[in-house]
Amino acid sequence: MKFAYYPGCYLHGTALEYDMSTRAVCRKLGIELIELDDWNCCGAVEANNSLSIPLSARNLALAERMGLNIVAPCSVCFHKLSKANKMVKGDEKFRKKINEMIDGQYQGGVEVRHLLDIIVNEVGLERVSKDVKVPLEGVKAVPYYGCLIVRPSEIAKFDDPEDPQSLDDLIKATGAECLPYSHKVSCCGGGLLANKEDFALDMAKKIIDSAKRAGSNCIVVTCPLCHTMLDFQQSNIGSRYGITIDLPVLYFTQLLGLALGLGVKELGLDKNIVSPMKLLESIGIG
Amino acid sequence: MTEAIRLTDTDPRFVDEIKKAGGENILMCYQCGTCTSSCPVREIDERYDPLKIIRMAVLGMKKEVLSSDIIWLCSRCYACYEHCPQSVGVTEVLHAITNIAEKEGKEGNIRIKSLKPRLDGVFNDLIRKYGRLFEIKFFAHHALLSKGVVGLLSSAPDGFVMFRKGKLRLLPHKIKGMKQIERIFKIVGANEK
Repeated sequence: MKFAYYPGCYLHGTALEYDMSTRAVCRKLGIELIELDDWNCCGAVEANNSLSIPLSARNLALAERMGLNIVAPCSVCFHKLSKANKMVKGDEKFRKKINEMIDGQYQGGVEVRHLLDIIVNEVGLERVSKDVKVPLEGVKAVPYYGCLIVRPSEIAKFDDPEDPQSLDDLIKATGAECLPYSHKVSCCGGGLLANKEDFALDMAKKIIDSAKRAGSNCIVVTCPLCHTMLDFQQSNIGSRYGITIDLPVLYFTQLLGLALGLGVKELGLDKNIVSPMKLLESIGIG
Repeated sequence: MTEAIRLTDTDPRFVDEIKKAGGENILMCYQCGTCTSSCPVREIDERYDPLKIIRMAVLGMKKEVLSSDIIWLCSRCYACYEHCPQSVGVTEVLHAITNIAEKEGKEGNIRIKSLKPRLDGVFNDLIRKYGRLFEIKFFAHHALLSKGVVGLLSSAPDGFVMFRKGKLRLLPHKIKGMKQIERIFKIVGANEK
């Protein structure tokens, strides 16, 4: 199984641990990742499609030249690339216009998949379960999907937009407990962090509250923007409300990597802002 | 008593502008309010009301809609989009409205208080220059724009933590295909004029 790997800007920076754990887990599961050579930003923040579609299309054209489908671990990149792909594939005239803009020849032959989709639906949970070396007994996780990995469902496609299950099933396959809670597809507020910070922090707090009420000892995420809101901003949320939260937030690849027997350093678990070390020690790792 | 809406003061062409700017299906809306009840921003501040924004737009209340600070508060979660029974594409309609506001702001027709367009501009400028996001510069600009010099200085410890963990690059990475990136920006810029 071979994919063109699209890390996106965050995984080459503040979400470094997501990149590290993605590469480590894929190696272990026999997924060959070839980083898309000379990829550019997907056009993430832009609400207007006028820039994000040609920017994304340039990446699609690069993958087509490699003859590979794209895998993206970031839900924002996954959304932007998938949306551009849908629009360009569905309309030949529009595709010509975009090709003219990128000075390229994209024919519409590439599929864009989220890494979670690949691991759950292509590698399969049977294979994952077989490869588990360290069942994560004692980890009580809540699965946090957020927005763009499931919505709009006509673009995201691979799971239910109201009550998705793929991350739940993967958590269970690692031997960890997967707890039900109310906020698995709520918005983390990440899109508002820059221009309305107080709203963004309030939105993230609701997710953390729900996770705590469920009795979890960690939140598992699939997107670097969600991770920023729940992990990096956790101390800001704490000071805004005058509370101590101390709830580790792991990328799903970090959790899976631990179960596959990969090392703490290899998975970048020392790079999370809220340290997961106490949790790991409590289950005999680290 | 609330003030009456004077239809003589409205602009009936506003809805066509929105359609052209990416909100093609705005007239499909039958005002059921599913968007508003799905909205996580509305949960925090009830002034943010997608249903009301759409209704005002359909009535042609261009000035009132575009000069409102409220329209910039969408978190882009697509809950309204997903739940809409009429496939209005609510998120896209709301984006079309902010895109028009941004254009009118650039032309000097309205004054935009929200930082959102300027922050997006910072992001886009970095992509135009390097092809990828240069995070440290982006964060510094954000802090400076939204919280001033004090804000920039107070965010330094956070930045240091990131740097120590090896998560912040001090130098930008410029992609090789900058000619294509420059071309994209140039054509998009020309189309928008």
